[in-house]
Amino acid sequence: MDRPGFLLGSITVNPFRKTIDRWLGRGEASITVPPMDGAFRPNDLLDSAPAVMAVPAPDCLAMSAQGLVVSSEHSLFRVDKPGDAALASFDADISALAGLPDGGVAAGLVDGRIVFLGGQRNGETLAGSAEVGCITALAAARDGMLLVANGSASNNPVDWKRDLMEKNATGSLWRLDPASQARERLAANLAYPYGILEDVDSIIISESWRCALTRIASGGTGRTTRVLENLPAYPSRLSRGDGDAIWLALFAPRCQIVEFVLSEDHYRRRMTSQIDPELWVAPTLRAGRVPLEPTQQGGVTQLGILKPRSPSLSYGLVARLDGAFRPVASFHSRAPGHRHGVTSCLATGGQLFFTAKGDGMIASLASERLGS
Amino acid sequence: MTQPILEMRDIVKEYRGVAALRDINFDLRRGEVHAILGENGAGKSTLVKILSGAVTPTSGEIKLDGQTIHIAGPASARRHGIAMVYQETSLVPTLTVAQNLYLGDEKLFNRLRGTYIEAQQLLQSLNFPVDPTAIVQSLGTAKRQMVETARAVRLQAKIIIFDEPTSTLTPEEKHHLFALIDRLRREGVAIIFISHALEEALEHSDRITILRDGAHVVTGDAASFTRETIVRHMVGRSLSGELYGRAADGRVRAAGEKVLSVQNLSMQNVVRNTSFSIFAGQVTGIFGLVGSGRTETARIVAGVTKRDLFHGGEVRLEGASVRYRTPRQAVRDGVVYVTEDRKGEGFFETMSVAENMYIGQISSNESHGMVVSMTEMRDLAAAWTKKLNIKTLNSDARVIELSGGNQQKVVIAKALVQKPKLVIFDEPTRGVDVGAIAEIHHLIGALADEGLAVIVISSYLPEILSLSDRILVSRQGRIVEELSPDEATSEGVMFAAVY
Repeated sequence: MDRPGFLLGSITVNPFRKTIDRWLGRGEASITVPPMDGAFRPNDLLDSAPAVMAVPAPDCLAMSAQGLVVSSEHSLFRVDKPGDAALASFDADISALAGLPDGGVAAGLVDGRIVFLGGQRNGETLAGSAEVGCITALAAARDGMLLVANGSASNNPVDWKRDLMEKNATGSLWRLDPASQARERLAANLAYPYGILEDVDSIIISESWRCALTRIASGGTGRTTRVLENLPAYPSRLSRGDGDAIWLALFAPRCQIVEFVLSEDHYRRRMTSQIDPELWVAPTLRAGRVPLEPTQQGGVTQLGILKPRSPSLSYGLVARLDGAFRPVASFHSRAPGHRHGVTSCLATGGQLFFTAKGDGMIASLASERLGS
Repeated sequence: MTQPILEMRDIVKEYRGVAALRDINFDLRRGEVHAILGENGAGKSTLVKILSGAVTPTSGEIKLDGQTIHIAGPASARRHGIAMVYQETSLVPTLTVAQNLYLGDEKLFNRLRGTYIEAQQLLQSLNFPVDPTAIVQSLGTAKRQMVETARAVRLQAKIIIFDEPTSTLTPEEKHHLFALIDRLRREGVAIIFISHALEEALEHSDRITILRDGAHVVTGDAASFTRETIVRHMVGRSLSGELYGRAADGRVRAAGEKVLSVQNLSMQNVVRNTSFSIFAGQVTGIFGLVGSGRTETARIVAGVTKRDLFHGGEVRLEGASVRYRTPRQAVRDGVVYVTEDRKGEGFFETMSVAENMYIGQISSNESHGMVVSMTEMRDLAAAWTKKLNIKTLNSDARVIELSGGNQQKVVIAKALVQKPKLVIFDEPTRGVDVGAIAEIHHLIGALADEGLAVIVISSYLPEILSLSDRILVSRQGRIVEELSPDEATSEGVMFAAVY
């Protein structure tokens, strides 16, 4: 392990060593990304998945009494009836969705409101608040409460890229009583919580900017432990599958150039203040569509060698985890693929449905492909 | 039939009354490639050392072109036109390539530039990409062996003995070497060829002689042998099921926890931004050509070599970033490296088996500080000698006196006494006889079954294919491909390694 400082003790030496490390680009200042190998070994399985429906920016999937539903901008659609009109439309975009035990659906909107559709609370709306204004994920708890992930204290879900570039860790997890509208904060200082999964006696959340899954102890102590870290991509929604399988959607890849930009505060400040967010050197749900982009989606090869200055800033990735939250398999849409920006996945009826938000597509993988 | 250029009759060599060679009869024809095969300790090296003058036989007769000769030493052998390309190179490391090529033939006034030009011409004619002005100690093993070969060719020997010439060469370099051997053969040079790569012996030799336990077993045309018959003659039993074949159930071990994550590691132009992960309970095979950066990467992980000072990347062991300055730090964290150069780095040759193993222990967390216990040392040696089936008279025997396979087992024992969680085997069976290969392979599998993370670096493709639960291919300083055993074929792996 990295030994603490010598001679003068770690307290005295560590700040000095951190400066040296930063200068040399080593230790915590290393600009590195985890390899996509082992369970994350690349394949083209997401690209081979047949499309189920095409809607603009499909974001979140949830199971309701009417079947599988998906949020798309400010509307809600049934996945099994692609041609049908929207189930519901709102005056603001939907940023999170959760299926409820009574067959209804809770939809979080970008302005912080939560709207119930179907079930016992059909038509009810919970007003937004200053504390919970960036709803990124919702989940129904066993005790009838609603678990709400608040991605950021300062940014809207639409501004997720800015939240990353500001290196914020201001997210929080809340337990909300739909009846009384009472809310309890379960954890704070989270780096963009983007997925929620209730475990036996705790709650697992995906922290996008830490590239990790974190366990939050129940009982309101706020104690957190990492169950999976150093992921090669930014994680988003979690869902439970058959047996002990857990599905994790990852919406953009990590790459060295972005890690480098994240280490350069001055550059980042200038970039975010002067340049259109679409053209930032930052992860994105779909890259390669604008010719002004600073990198060209892994497409520049010279003499047969992929140029290292053209990394892919978007990607499609879904991982299957075991009961201990260890990755066991993964499904990819690589740089030239067309299932990028996967923000949600849900297994039902022997199929895995996923939303490729970057490509405006919902697709499904058959059960025989899931074991591969 | 071609008259033999060399005849060895009833050769006996005894060391303190113990026979290393017993009544060996051997003949070599002009313009033939004659392979000598056998397990380590079979007597191959002793036989050719007698020819090269390094060892004097106890009794027996050597005839060259029908005339009885006495080979008093290496210079005498050279005068008789016998040259040897050693497995462990015999070059002077502090001299240049050209100086080594012309060592012993210096004139009273040397014109160094002329020497370099001659050396350059010689090396070019042999298609060896070696700089004649390079200092030998800066060269890798493969290039040193090329220099050895070039020296033998330069001497215009009538008989050239190659001792394991291909063990460190890339396929392309091997191709060049065999083309050279073929050329020498056509010119009438007789070649003795010792190799553990049986396919090479079968493909490139005209005749094969097999020795076992210091005795001659069989000599015949190469065409009359198969791989199985050679192995049977070498070990006295069939090992085909144990060697280079997956277990009968074809079992592939599942990955456990991620133990090691190498991220964007760089070291000069040898290791280039390489990334890979290693998991517990699995054997991860790393295949690549010589110079593809496998060994260097492993040495960085184990603290033997340092990565680049600026932006050298990151090594994470069980999630924590590590940067070892010495191997001892790595050993204490449970990372051990079994070197490919066992004679240079693997053991202290003048120390006993027990002392070598105990040195491994006292550098680990198992040590008791300043306290050294002779009883503990003996017990440790006894336990591991038995566990790894090391053939030695007793644990006080010096390691240098053991055969290559047993030396390798001592090196492995020295690593395993440190109770590691990650073991890196670098060419674990190079220069090891087939019997010991099977035992080492079994041991590697057993370590993975115990839950350890195991890395096997090998240039021998069948070994990688048979041992690995996961195969990584290295090319030009980085891991370029990952394959599962189901999808890995010789062609596929080699293709990834070359293109």
